[in-house]
Amino acid sequence: MSRRAVRLWGGGLLTILTIAGIGLTLLPYFWMLASSLKTGGEVFELPIRWLPREPQWWNYPDALSRGAFAVYFFNSAVVALAVMAGNLMFCSLAGYGLAKFRFPYREASFRLILSTLMLPLEIVLVPTFLVVRGLGLVNSYGGLIVPLAVDAFGIFLMRQYIKDLPDSLIEAARLDGCSERGIFWRIILPNCKPALGALALLTFRDNWDQFLWPLIVASRDTLKTFPLGLAQMEGIDSAAYHEIMAIAVIGMIPTAIIFLCFQRAFVRGIAFSGLKE
Amino acid sequence: MARERAAAARAQPWPRWLGSLRQAVGWRRLSLHTRLCWAGFLFVLPALLHLIAFKFYPMLEAFRLSFYQYDLMSPPVFHGLENYRSVWNNPLFHQSFWVSAKYMFGVSIPEWFLALALALLLNRRMPGRSLIRLAYFFPIAMSQIVVALVWKFMYNPLGVVNTLLSYVGVGRINWLATEETALPALILIGIWRGIPLFGVIYLAGLQAIPKEYHEAATVDGAGGWQSFVHVTIPLLMPTILFVMVMSLLSAMKVFLNPLVMTEGGPNGTTRVLPYFIYDTAFAYHRMGEAAAASMVLFAFAFALTLIQLRLLRRGGLE
Repeated sequence: MSRRAVRLWGGGLLTILTIAGIGLTLLPYFWMLASSLKTGGEVFELPIRWLPREPQWWNYPDALSRGAFAVYFFNSAVVALAVMAGNLMFCSLAGYGLAKFRFPYREASFRLILSTLMLPLEIVLVPTFLVVRGLGLVNSYGGLIVPLAVDAFGIFLMRQYIKDLPDSLIEAARLDGCSERGIFWRIILPNCKPALGALALLTFRDNWDQFLWPLIVASRDTLKTFPLGLAQMEGIDSAAYHEIMAIAVIGMIPTAIIFLCFQRAFVRGIAFSGLKE
Repeated sequence: MARERAAAARAQPWPRWLGSLRQAVGWRRLSLHTRLCWAGFLFVLPALLHLIAFKFYPMLEAFRLSFYQYDLMSPPVFHGLENYRSVWNNPLFHQSFWVSAKYMFGVSIPEWFLALALALLLNRRMPGRSLIRLAYFFPIAMSQIVVALVWKFMYNPLGVVNTLLSYVGVGRINWLATEETALPALILIGIWRGIPLFGVIYLAGLQAIPKEYHEAATVDGAGGWQSFVHVTIPLLMPTILFVMVMSLLSAMKVFLNPLVMTEGGPNGTTRVLPYFIYDTAFAYHRMGEAAAASMVLFAFAFALTLIQLRLLRRGGLE
Protein backbone atom coordinates (compact mmCIF):
# COMPACT_ATOMS: atom_id res chain seq x y z
CA MET A 1 0.00 0.00 0.00
CA SER A 2 1.20 3.46 -0.70
CA ARG A 3 1.87 5.87 2.11
CA ARG A 4 -1.16 7.87 1.15
CA ALA A 5 -3.43 4.86 1.41
CA VAL A 6 -2.04 4.04 4.85
CA ARG A 7 -2.75 7.55 6.01
CA LEU A 8 -6.26 7.47 4.57
CA TRP A 9 -7.08 4.14 6.21
CA GLY A 10 -5.52 5.23 9.46
CA GLY A 11 -7.55 8.42 9.46
CA GLY A 12 -10.74 6.51 8.76
CA LEU A 13 -10.00 4.03 11.54
CA LEU A 14 -9.34 6.85 14.00
CA THR A 15 -12.61 8.53 13.05
CA ILE A 16 -14.50 5.31 13.67
CA LEU A 17 -12.72 4.87 17.01
CA THR A 18 -13.56 8.45 17.97
CA ILE A 19 -17.23 7.97 17.23
CA ALA A 20 -17.38 4.60 18.98
CA GLY A 21 -15.70 6.17 21.99
CA ILE A 22 -18.26 8.95 22.10
CA GLY A 23 -20.99 6.34 21.93
CA LEU A 24 -19.57 4.44 24.90
CA THR A 25 -19.01 7.64 26.85
CA LEU A 26 -22.49 8.97 26.36
CA LEU A 27 -24.39 5.67 26.50
CA PRO A 28 -25.20 5.99 30.23
CA TYR A 29 -26.65 9.47 29.69
CA PHE A 30 -28.77 8.31 26.82
CA TRP A 31 -29.96 5.35 28.83
CA MET A 32 -30.77 7.52 31.80
CA LEU A 33 -32.77 10.02 29.75
CA ALA A 34 -34.62 7.35 27.78
CA SER A 35 -35.47 5.36 30.91
CA SER A 36 -36.72 8.41 32.75
CA LEU A 37 -39.43 8.72 30.10
CA LYS A 38 -40.48 5.06 29.99
CA THR A 39 -43.27 3.30 31.82
CA GLY A 40 -42.25 0.98 34.65
CA GLY A 41 -42.91 -2.00 32.40
CA GLU A 42 -40.86 -0.76 29.46
CA VAL A 43 -37.72 -0.31 31.53
CA PHE A 44 -36.80 -4.00 31.62
CA GLU A 45 -38.67 -5.12 28.53
CA LEU A 46 -37.11 -7.84 26.41
CA PRO A 47 -35.94 -7.51 23.69
CA ILE A 48 -34.55 -4.22 24.83
CA ARG A 49 -36.53 -1.07 24.09
CA TRP A 50 -34.13 1.79 23.35
CA LEU A 51 -36.75 4.53 23.21
CA PRO A 52 -40.06 4.77 25.08
CA ARG A 53 -43.20 4.13 23.01
CA GLU A 54 -44.64 7.32 24.31
CA PRO A 55 -42.61 9.71 26.50
CA GLN A 56 -44.02 9.61 30.04
CA TRP A 57 -43.52 13.20 31.15
CA TRP A 58 -45.52 12.54 34.30
CA ASN A 59 -42.65 10.43 35.63
CA TYR A 60 -40.96 13.65 36.69
CA PRO A 61 -43.66 15.15 38.93
CA ASP A 62 -44.51 11.65 40.19
CA ALA A 63 -40.92 11.00 41.16
CA LEU A 64 -40.54 14.37 42.85
CA SER A 65 -43.57 13.70 45.00
CA ARG A 66 -42.10 10.42 46.30
CA GLY A 67 -39.74 11.93 48.83
CA ALA A 68 -39.02 15.38 50.13
CA PHE A 69 -36.95 16.07 47.06
CA ALA A 70 -37.62 19.80 47.12
CA VAL A 71 -35.96 19.80 50.56
CA TYR A 72 -33.09 17.58 49.42
CA PHE A 73 -32.33 19.76 46.42
CA PHE A 74 -32.56 22.86 48.58
CA ASN A 75 -30.11 21.34 51.07
CA SER A 76 -27.68 20.38 48.34
CA ALA A 77 -27.85 23.90 46.95
CA VAL A 78 -27.27 25.46 50.39
CA VAL A 79 -24.32 23.18 51.12
CA ALA A 80 -22.78 23.63 47.67
CA LEU A 81 -23.13 27.41 47.66
CA ALA A 82 -21.97 27.89 51.25
CA VAL A 83 -18.95 25.65 50.83
CA MET A 84 -18.19 27.44 47.58
CA ALA A 85 -18.37 30.85 49.29
CA GLY A 86 -16.12 29.67 52.12
CA ASN A 87 -13.55 28.30 49.73
CA LEU A 88 -13.52 31.41 47.54
CA MET A 89 -13.04 33.63 50.59
CA PHE A 90 -10.48 31.72 52.64
CA CYS A 91 -8.52 30.22 49.77
CA SER A 92 -8.03 33.55 48.02
CA LEU A 93 -7.00 35.20 51.30
CA ALA A 94 -4.50 32.46 52.08
CA GLY A 95 -3.34 32.23 48.48
CA TYR A 96 -2.63 35.98 48.47
CA GLY A 97 -0.79 35.80 51.77
CA LEU A 98 1.37 32.92 50.57
CA ALA A 99 2.04 34.38 47.13
CA LYS A 100 2.85 38.03 47.84
CA PHE A 101 4.15 38.37 51.39
CA ARG A 102 7.31 37.32 53.14
CA PHE A 103 6.99 36.13 56.69
CA PRO A 104 8.79 33.58 58.84
CA TYR A 105 7.79 29.97 58.16
CA ARG A 106 5.90 30.92 55.00
CA GLU A 107 7.24 27.96 53.02
CA ALA A 108 6.65 25.69 55.98
CA SER A 109 3.03 26.82 56.25
CA PHE A 110 2.55 26.26 52.54
CA ARG A 111 3.95 22.72 52.79
CA LEU A 112 1.81 22.07 55.82
CA ILE A 113 -1.28 23.21 53.91
CA LEU A 114 -0.39 21.09 50.88
CA SER A 115 0.22 18.04 53.03
CA THR A 116 -3.48 18.02 53.99
CA LEU A 117 -4.15 16.80 50.45
CA MET A 118 -3.01 13.44 51.82
CA LEU A 119 -5.79 13.57 54.40
CA PRO A 120 -9.02 13.20 52.48
CA LEU A 121 -12.23 12.85 54.44
CA GLU A 122 -12.15 9.09 53.96
CA ILE A 123 -9.06 8.85 56.15
CA VAL A 124 -10.02 11.27 58.91
CA LEU A 125 -13.69 10.35 58.83
CA VAL A 126 -14.07 9.11 62.40
CA PRO A 127 -12.19 11.90 64.22
CA THR A 128 -13.72 14.62 62.03
CA PHE A 129 -17.09 13.31 63.04
CA LEU A 130 -16.00 13.43 66.68
CA VAL A 131 -14.81 17.05 66.29
CA VAL A 132 -18.10 18.07 64.71
CA ARG A 133 -19.99 16.21 67.42
CA GLY A 134 -17.91 17.96 70.05
CA LEU A 135 -18.89 21.30 68.53
CA GLY A 136 -22.54 20.24 68.75
CA LEU A 137 -22.95 20.54 65.00
CA VAL A 138 -24.32 17.07 64.22
CA ASN A 139 -27.57 17.39 62.30
CA SER A 140 -27.15 21.03 61.42
CA TYR A 141 -26.21 23.01 58.33
CA GLY A 142 -23.11 24.13 60.18
CA GLY A 143 -21.99 20.53 60.56
CA LEU A 144 -22.54 19.90 56.87
CA ILE A 145 -20.71 23.02 55.75
CA VAL A 146 -17.98 24.08 58.17
CA PRO A 147 -15.59 21.09 57.89
CA LEU A 148 -15.55 21.49 54.10
CA ALA A 149 -15.21 25.28 53.98
CA VAL A 150 -11.46 25.30 53.26
CA ASP A 151 -9.62 22.97 50.95
CA ALA A 152 -5.87 22.94 50.40
CA PHE A 153 -6.36 22.49 46.69
CA GLY A 154 -8.12 25.86 46.47
CA ILE A 155 -5.29 27.56 48.33
CA PHE A 156 -2.80 25.98 45.94
CA LEU A 157 -4.80 27.12 42.91
CA MET A 158 -5.17 30.69 44.15
CA ARG A 159 -1.52 30.95 45.21
CA GLN A 160 -0.26 29.82 41.82
CA TYR A 161 -2.49 32.31 40.06
CA ILE A 162 -1.81 35.29 42.31
CA LYS A 163 1.93 34.62 42.17
CA ASP A 164 1.89 35.51 38.47
CA LEU A 165 0.21 38.89 39.02
CA PRO A 166 2.76 41.74 38.77
CA ASP A 167 4.05 43.05 42.10
CA SER A 168 3.98 46.60 40.72
CA LEU A 169 0.17 46.57 40.89
CA ILE A 170 0.26 46.00 44.64
CA GLU A 171 3.15 48.35 45.33
CA ALA A 172 1.51 51.19 43.40
CA ALA A 173 -1.69 50.77 45.41
CA ARG A 174 0.31 50.63 48.65
CA LEU A 175 2.13 53.87 47.74
CA ASP A 176 -1.22 55.49 47.05
CA GLY A 177 -2.13 54.76 50.64
CA CYS A 178 -4.45 51.86 50.01
CA SER A 179 -4.86 49.64 53.06
CA GLU A 180 -3.86 45.98 52.91
CA ARG A 181 -7.51 44.98 53.07
CA GLY A 182 -8.29 47.44 50.29
CA ILE A 183 -5.53 45.99 48.11
CA PHE A 184 -6.98 42.53 48.55
CA TRP A 185 -10.53 43.57 47.70
CA ARG A 186 -9.87 46.12 45.00
CA ILE A 187 -6.67 44.92 43.31
CA ILE A 188 -6.20 41.21 43.91
CA LEU A 189 -9.73 39.83 43.70
CA PRO A 190 -10.75 41.64 40.49
CA ASN A 191 -7.52 40.48 38.87
CA CYS A 192 -7.94 36.80 39.56
CA LYS A 193 -11.43 36.24 38.23
CA PRO A 194 -10.44 33.26 36.03
CA ALA A 195 -8.98 31.36 38.97
CA LEU A 196 -11.93 32.26 41.18
CA GLY A 197 -14.28 31.08 38.44
CA ALA A 198 -12.56 27.71 38.09
CA LEU A 199 -12.47 27.26 41.86
CA ALA A 200 -16.16 28.18 42.15
CA LEU A 201 -17.15 25.63 39.51
CA LEU A 202 -15.08 22.83 40.99
CA THR A 203 -16.23 23.35 44.56
CA PHE A 204 -19.83 23.64 43.46
CA ARG A 205 -19.67 20.38 41.56
CA ASP A 206 -17.94 18.48 44.34
CA ASN A 207 -20.30 19.64 47.02
CA TRP A 208 -23.51 19.40 45.08
CA ASP A 209 -22.40 15.81 44.97
CA GLN A 210 -21.49 15.45 48.63
CA PHE A 211 -22.49 12.00 49.84
CA LEU A 212 -20.17 10.52 52.44
CA TRP A 213 -20.10 13.46 54.82
CA PRO A 214 -23.88 14.15 54.89
CA LEU A 215 -24.40 10.41 55.26
CA ILE A 216 -22.55 10.54 58.56
CA VAL A 217 -23.43 13.94 59.93
CA ALA A 218 -27.05 14.43 58.79
CA SER A 219 -29.36 11.68 59.94
CA ARG A 220 -32.39 13.93 60.12
CA ASP A 221 -34.50 13.78 56.97
CA THR A 222 -34.85 17.55 56.64
CA LEU A 223 -31.07 17.88 56.32
CA LYS A 224 -30.46 15.21 53.73
CA THR A 225 -28.83 16.22 50.49
CA PHE A 226 -29.99 15.14 47.06
CA PRO A 227 -27.52 12.23 46.66
CA LEU A 228 -28.66 10.82 50.01
CA GLY A 229 -32.31 11.24 49.08
CA LEU A 230 -31.74 9.49 45.79
CA ALA A 231 -29.86 6.59 47.39
CA GLN A 232 -32.60 6.29 49.99
CA MET A 233 -35.30 6.22 47.33
CA GLU A 234 -33.41 3.52 45.50
CA GLY A 235 -33.08 1.52 48.69
CA ILE A 236 -36.79 1.68 49.40
CA ASP A 237 -38.11 0.88 45.96
CA SER A 238 -35.43 -0.25 43.55
CA ALA A 239 -38.09 -1.31 41.06
CA ALA A 240 -39.13 2.27 40.35
CA TYR A 241 -36.21 2.72 38.02
CA HIS A 242 -37.98 5.06 35.66
CA GLU A 243 -38.65 7.46 38.51
CA ILE A 244 -35.17 7.11 40.02
CA MET A 245 -33.75 8.02 36.63
CA ALA A 246 -36.06 11.05 36.45
CA ILE A 247 -34.64 12.34 39.74
CA ALA A 248 -31.14 11.58 38.50
CA VAL A 249 -31.77 13.69 35.40
CA ILE A 250 -33.01 16.60 37.50
CA GLY A 251 -30.05 16.28 39.86
CA MET A 252 -27.68 16.42 36.93
CA ILE A 253 -29.09 19.66 35.53
CA PRO A 254 -27.16 22.19 37.68
CA THR A 255 -23.75 20.65 37.09
CA ALA A 256 -24.52 19.99 33.43
CA ILE A 257 -25.56 23.61 32.86
CA ILE A 258 -22.47 24.89 34.63
CA PHE A 259 -20.31 22.53 32.61
CA LEU A 260 -21.83 23.52 29.29
CA CYS A 261 -21.78 27.26 29.97
CA PHE A 262 -18.34 27.48 31.54
CA GLN A 263 -16.74 24.57 29.77
CA ARG A 264 -13.45 26.33 29.18
CA ALA A 265 -12.98 27.55 32.75
CA PHE A 266 -14.12 24.18 34.05
CA VAL A 267 -11.72 22.17 31.94
CA ARG A 268 -8.91 24.62 32.61
CA GLY A 269 -9.52 24.41 36.31
CA ILE A 270 -9.51 20.63 36.28
CA ALA A 271 -6.48 20.47 34.05
CA PHE A 272 -4.71 22.82 36.39
CA SER A 273 -5.52 20.73 39.37
CA GLY A 274 -6.21 17.14 38.67
CA LEU A 275 -5.87 17.07 42.42
CA LYS A 276 -9.59 16.71 42.80
CA GLU A 277 -11.57 13.47 43.07
CA MET B 1 -24.46 60.12 59.65
CA ALA B 2 -24.71 56.75 57.98
CA ARG B 3 -22.70 58.03 55.07
CA GLU B 4 -20.03 59.39 57.40
CA ARG B 5 -19.82 56.07 59.14
CA ALA B 6 -19.53 54.29 55.80
CA ALA B 7 -16.75 56.67 54.78
CA ALA B 8 -14.98 56.06 58.08
CA ALA B 9 -15.35 52.33 57.60
CA ARG B 10 -13.86 52.60 54.16
CA ALA B 11 -10.91 54.61 55.40
CA GLN B 12 -10.30 52.14 58.18
CA PRO B 13 -8.54 49.04 56.87
CA TRP B 14 -9.91 46.58 59.44
CA PRO B 15 -13.12 46.21 61.46
CA ARG B 16 -13.36 48.66 64.35
CA TRP B 17 -12.47 46.23 67.14
CA LEU B 18 -9.37 45.27 65.23
CA GLY B 19 -8.58 48.96 64.96
CA SER B 20 -8.36 49.33 68.73
CA LEU B 21 -6.33 46.15 68.90
CA ARG B 22 -3.95 47.67 66.38
CA GLN B 23 -3.63 50.75 68.53
CA ALA B 24 -2.90 48.64 71.57
CA VAL B 25 -0.01 46.83 69.89
CA GLY B 26 1.20 50.10 68.36
CA TRP B 27 0.71 48.97 64.75
CA ARG B 28 1.61 52.37 63.29
CA ARG B 29 4.96 52.43 65.05
CA LEU B 30 6.01 49.13 63.47
CA SER B 31 8.21 49.28 60.40
CA LEU B 32 6.64 48.63 57.00
CA HIS B 33 8.54 45.34 56.81
CA THR B 34 7.16 44.07 60.12
CA ARG B 35 3.68 45.23 59.23
CA LEU B 36 3.78 43.38 55.92
CA CYS B 37 5.03 40.27 57.70
CA TRP B 38 2.06 40.33 60.00
CA ALA B 39 -0.38 41.23 57.22
CA GLY B 40 0.73 38.22 55.16
CA PHE B 41 0.52 35.93 58.14
CA LEU B 42 -2.96 37.21 59.03
CA PHE B 43 -4.14 36.56 55.48
CA VAL B 44 -3.08 32.92 55.78
CA LEU B 45 -4.22 32.45 59.36
CA PRO B 46 -7.96 31.71 58.90
CA ALA B 47 -7.31 28.92 56.41
CA LEU B 48 -4.47 27.55 58.49
CA LEU B 49 -6.62 27.45 61.63
CA HIS B 50 -9.39 25.69 59.72
CA LEU B 51 -7.03 23.04 58.41
CA ILE B 52 -5.55 22.53 61.86
CA ALA B 53 -9.02 22.07 63.35
CA PHE B 54 -10.42 19.82 60.62
CA LYS B 55 -7.38 18.01 59.22
CA PHE B 56 -4.37 17.94 61.54
CA TYR B 57 -6.19 17.66 64.81
CA PRO B 58 -8.45 14.86 63.48
CA MET B 59 -5.38 13.09 62.13
CA LEU B 60 -3.66 13.20 65.53
CA GLU B 61 -6.93 12.27 67.17
CA ALA B 62 -7.25 9.27 64.85
CA PHE B 63 -3.74 8.22 65.82
CA ARG B 64 -4.55 8.54 69.53
CA LEU B 65 -7.91 6.85 69.12
CA SER B 66 -6.28 3.88 67.42
CA PHE B 67 -4.90 2.92 70.87
CA TYR B 68 -8.25 3.23 72.63
CA GLN B 69 -11.43 1.27 72.82
CA TYR B 70 -14.33 3.62 72.11
CA ASP B 71 -17.96 3.03 71.14
CA LEU B 72 -19.23 6.65 71.08
CA MET B 73 -21.27 6.03 74.27
CA SER B 74 -18.95 5.19 77.15
CA PRO B 75 -15.66 7.08 77.61
CA PRO B 76 -12.63 5.77 75.69
CA VAL B 77 -10.50 3.14 77.42
CA PHE B 78 -6.80 2.75 76.71
CA HIS B 79 -6.25 -0.46 74.86
CA GLY B 80 -2.61 -0.44 73.78
CA LEU B 81 -2.02 -2.17 70.48
CA GLU B 82 -5.15 -4.27 70.88
CA ASN B 83 -6.96 -2.49 68.00
CA TYR B 84 -4.14 -3.10 65.59
CA ARG B 85 -4.00 -6.72 66.70
CA SER B 86 -7.71 -7.31 66.22
CA VAL B 87 -7.69 -5.53 62.86
CA TRP B 88 -4.74 -7.65 61.83
CA ASN B 89 -6.50 -10.82 62.98
CA ASN B 90 -9.72 -9.86 61.24
CA PRO B 91 -10.00 -11.83 57.99
CA LEU B 92 -12.43 -9.20 56.70
CA PHE B 93 -9.69 -6.59 56.97
CA HIS B 94 -7.30 -8.69 54.91
CA GLN B 95 -10.01 -9.25 52.35
CA SER B 96 -10.75 -5.50 52.21
CA PHE B 97 -7.09 -4.71 51.87
CA TRP B 98 -6.74 -6.92 48.82
CA VAL B 99 -10.03 -5.76 47.32
CA SER B 100 -8.77 -2.18 47.62
CA ALA B 101 -5.41 -3.07 46.10
CA LYS B 102 -7.06 -4.87 43.19
CA TYR B 103 -9.45 -2.00 42.65
CA MET B 104 -6.71 0.64 42.79
CA PHE B 105 -4.47 -1.01 40.24
CA GLY B 106 -7.32 -2.41 38.17
CA VAL B 107 -8.67 1.11 37.70
CA SER B 108 -5.51 3.15 37.42
CA ILE B 109 -3.32 1.10 35.11
CA PRO B 110 -5.83 1.09 32.22
CA GLU B 111 -6.52 4.75 32.97
CA TRP B 112 -2.87 5.73 32.48
CA PHE B 113 -2.88 4.41 28.92
CA LEU B 114 -6.44 5.07 27.82
CA ALA B 115 -6.46 8.64 29.11
CA LEU B 116 -3.23 9.33 27.24
CA ALA B 117 -4.70 7.77 24.10
CA LEU B 118 -7.78 9.95 24.46
CA ALA B 119 -5.69 13.08 24.92
CA LEU B 120 -3.60 12.25 21.84
CA LEU B 121 -6.77 11.65 19.86
CA LEU B 122 -8.35 14.92 20.94
CA ASN B 123 -5.15 16.85 20.31
CA ARG B 124 -5.29 16.00 16.59
CA ARG B 125 -6.77 18.44 14.16
CA MET B 126 -10.18 17.20 13.02
CA PRO B 127 -13.55 18.66 12.09
CA GLY B 128 -15.82 19.41 15.02
CA ARG B 129 -13.00 18.99 17.51
CA SER B 130 -14.42 21.20 20.24
CA LEU B 131 -17.76 19.38 20.05
CA ILE B 132 -16.02 16.01 20.26
CA ARG B 133 -14.03 17.20 23.26
CA LEU B 134 -17.22 18.37 24.90
CA ALA B 135 -18.80 14.94 24.44
CA TYR B 136 -15.79 13.14 25.89
CA PHE B 137 -15.38 15.45 28.86
CA PHE B 138 -19.05 15.53 29.80
CA PRO B 139 -18.85 12.68 32.37
CA ILE B 140 -16.66 14.95 34.50
CA ALA B 141 -19.79 16.95 35.24
CA MET B 142 -21.89 13.94 36.21
CA SER B 143 -22.49 13.44 39.88
CA GLN B 144 -21.20 10.30 41.55
CA ILE B 145 -24.52 9.10 42.85
CA VAL B 146 -26.05 9.41 39.39
CA VAL B 147 -23.15 7.44 37.92
CA ALA B 148 -23.61 4.73 40.52
CA LEU B 149 -27.35 4.37 40.00
CA VAL B 150 -27.29 4.52 36.21
CA TRP B 151 -24.60 1.86 36.04
CA LYS B 152 -26.35 -0.29 38.60
CA PHE B 153 -29.33 -0.13 36.33
CA MET B 154 -27.28 -0.93 33.24
CA TYR B 155 -25.69 -3.92 34.99
CA ASN B 156 -29.11 -5.37 35.81
CA PRO B 157 -29.52 -8.92 34.38
CA LEU B 158 -32.11 -7.44 32.03
CA GLY B 159 -30.11 -4.28 31.49
CA VAL B 160 -28.27 -2.69 28.66
CA VAL B 161 -24.84 -4.24 29.34
CA ASN B 162 -26.15 -7.76 28.94
CA THR B 163 -28.07 -6.73 25.84
CA LEU B 164 -24.97 -5.31 24.20
CA LEU B 165 -23.01 -8.44 25.11
CA SER B 166 -25.74 -10.70 23.79
CA TYR B 167 -25.08 -9.19 20.34
CA VAL B 168 -21.63 -10.78 20.49
CA GLY B 169 -23.00 -14.02 21.90
CA VAL B 170 -22.31 -13.69 25.64
CA GLY B 171 -25.02 -15.08 27.92
CA ARG B 172 -26.81 -13.09 30.59
CA ILE B 173 -24.79 -12.46 33.73
CA ASN B 174 -25.94 -10.95 37.00
CA TRP B 175 -22.86 -8.76 37.15
CA LEU B 176 -23.21 -7.21 40.59
CA ALA B 177 -24.41 -10.35 42.36
CA THR B 178 -21.71 -12.72 41.12
CA GLU B 179 -18.50 -12.95 43.11
CA GLU B 180 -16.22 -13.12 40.07
CA THR B 181 -17.79 -10.21 38.19
CA ALA B 182 -18.81 -7.67 40.85
CA LEU B 183 -15.38 -6.13 41.36
CA PRO B 184 -14.50 -6.02 37.63
CA ALA B 185 -17.88 -4.37 37.03
CA LEU B 186 -17.02 -1.64 39.55
CA ILE B 187 -13.53 -1.32 38.09
CA LEU B 188 -15.03 -0.70 34.66
CA ILE B 189 -17.10 2.19 36.06
CA GLY B 190 -14.01 3.63 37.72
CA ILE B 191 -12.16 3.55 34.41
CA TRP B 192 -15.10 5.02 32.51
CA ARG B 193 -15.28 7.88 34.99
CA GLY B 194 -11.54 8.47 35.29
CA ILE B 195 -10.54 8.56 31.62
CA PRO B 196 -12.11 11.97 30.81
CA LEU B 197 -10.69 13.54 33.94
CA PHE B 198 -7.14 12.36 33.40
CA GLY B 199 -7.57 12.92 29.66
CA VAL B 200 -8.08 16.61 30.38
CA ILE B 201 -4.91 16.70 32.45
CA TYR B 202 -2.89 14.93 29.74
CA LEU B 203 -4.34 17.22 27.11
CA ALA B 204 -3.21 20.28 29.07
CA GLY B 205 0.23 18.69 29.32
CA LEU B 206 0.35 17.98 25.59
CA GLN B 207 -0.67 21.52 24.73
CA ALA B 208 2.11 22.89 26.89
CA ILE B 209 4.72 21.23 24.67
CA PRO B 210 6.01 23.84 22.19
CA LYS B 211 5.27 22.94 18.57
CA GLU B 212 8.85 23.73 17.57
CA TYR B 213 10.10 20.55 19.27
CA HIS B 214 8.00 18.33 17.05
CA GLU B 215 8.87 20.38 13.99
CA ALA B 216 12.56 20.02 14.79
CA ALA B 217 12.12 16.26 15.20
CA THR B 218 10.35 16.05 11.84
CA VAL B 219 13.13 18.04 10.17
CA ASP B 220 15.61 15.56 11.63
CA GLY B 221 13.67 12.80 9.90
CA ALA B 222 11.78 11.38 12.87
CA GLY B 223 8.51 9.64 12.07
CA GLY B 224 5.33 10.04 14.07
CA TRP B 225 6.17 7.20 16.44
CA GLN B 226 9.77 8.27 17.00
CA SER B 227 8.72 11.83 17.66
CA PHE B 228 6.17 10.48 20.19
CA VAL B 229 8.72 8.32 22.03
CA HIS B 230 11.61 10.78 22.00
CA VAL B 231 9.87 14.14 22.27
CA THR B 232 6.36 13.80 23.64
CA ILE B 233 6.94 11.18 26.34
CA PRO B 234 9.99 12.79 28.00
CA LEU B 235 8.39 16.23 28.01
CA LEU B 236 5.14 14.81 29.34
CA MET B 237 6.88 12.92 32.15
CA PRO B 238 5.82 15.24 35.00
CA THR B 239 2.19 14.99 33.88
CA ILE B 240 2.46 11.23 33.55
CA LEU B 241 3.82 10.86 37.08
CA PHE B 242 1.14 13.17 38.38
CA VAL B 243 -1.63 11.20 36.70
CA MET B 244 -0.19 7.91 37.93
CA VAL B 245 -0.21 8.96 41.56
CA MET B 246 -3.48 10.87 41.41
CA SER B 247 -5.36 8.02 39.77
CA LEU B 248 -4.14 5.65 42.47
CA LEU B 249 -5.06 8.06 45.25
CA SER B 250 -8.53 8.71 43.88
CA ALA B 251 -9.16 4.98 43.35
CA MET B 252 -8.06 4.43 46.92
CA LYS B 253 -10.91 6.60 48.17
CA VAL B 254 -13.74 4.90 46.31
CA PHE B 255 -16.67 4.33 48.62
CA LEU B 256 -19.96 5.41 47.15
CA ASN B 257 -20.09 2.89 44.31
CA PRO B 258 -19.63 -0.23 46.46
CA LEU B 259 -22.03 1.16 49.04
CA VAL B 260 -24.85 1.97 46.65
CA MET B 261 -24.32 -0.74 44.04
CA THR B 262 -23.28 -3.87 45.91
CA GLU B 263 -23.23 -3.03 49.64
CA GLY B 264 -19.73 -4.49 49.64
CA GLY B 265 -21.03 -7.85 48.50
CA PRO B 266 -21.35 -10.46 47.25
CA ASN B 267 -19.42 -12.01 50.14
CA GLY B 268 -17.30 -8.94 50.71
CA THR B 269 -15.72 -9.12 47.25
CA THR B 270 -16.31 -5.38 46.77
CA ARG B 271 -15.81 -4.19 50.34
CA VAL B 272 -12.96 -1.72 49.81
CA LEU B 273 -10.93 -0.37 52.71
CA PRO B 274 -12.88 2.90 53.16
CA TYR B 275 -16.04 0.80 53.29
CA PHE B 276 -14.50 -1.44 55.93
CA ILE B 277 -13.59 1.64 58.00
CA TYR B 278 -17.06 3.10 57.62
CA ASP B 279 -18.70 -0.17 58.65
CA THR B 280 -16.42 -0.68 61.63
CA ALA B 281 -17.03 2.86 62.85
CA PHE B 282 -20.65 3.58 62.11
CA ALA B 283 -22.29 0.16 61.88
CA TYR B 284 -20.39 -1.64 64.68
CA HIS B 285 -19.33 1.48 66.65
CA ARG B 286 -15.78 0.25 67.04
CA MET B 287 -14.13 3.64 66.68
CA GLY B 288 -10.70 2.51 67.83
CA GLU B 289 -10.46 -0.30 65.33
CA ALA B 290 -11.73 2.00 62.58
CA ALA B 291 -9.03 4.51 63.50
CA ALA B 292 -6.39 1.76 63.35
CA ALA B 293 -7.61 0.78 59.88
CA SER B 294 -7.54 4.46 58.85
CA MET B 295 -3.88 4.54 59.81
CA VAL B 296 -3.23 1.75 57.32
CA LEU B 297 -5.06 3.70 54.62
CA PHE B 298 -3.09 6.80 55.53
CA ALA B 299 0.18 4.87 55.27
CA PHE B 300 -0.87 3.99 51.73
CA ALA B 301 -1.57 7.63 50.80
CA PHE B 302 1.62 8.80 52.47
CA ALA B 303 3.79 6.23 50.68
CA LEU B 304 2.27 7.09 47.30
CA THR B 305 2.82 10.81 47.81
CA LEU B 306 6.42 10.23 48.91
CA ILE B 307 7.12 8.09 45.86
CA GLN B 308 5.72 10.79 43.63
CA LEU B 309 7.85 13.50 45.24
CA ARG B 310 10.95 11.31 45.04
CA LEU B 311 10.39 10.54 41.37
CA LEU B 312 9.69 14.17 40.51
CA ARG B 313 12.85 15.24 42.27
CA ARG B 314 15.03 12.57 40.77
CA GLY B 315 13.90 13.60 37.31
CA GLY B 316 14.92 17.14 38.23
CA LEU B 317 11.45 18.10 37.19
CA GLU B 318 10.24 20.02 40.16
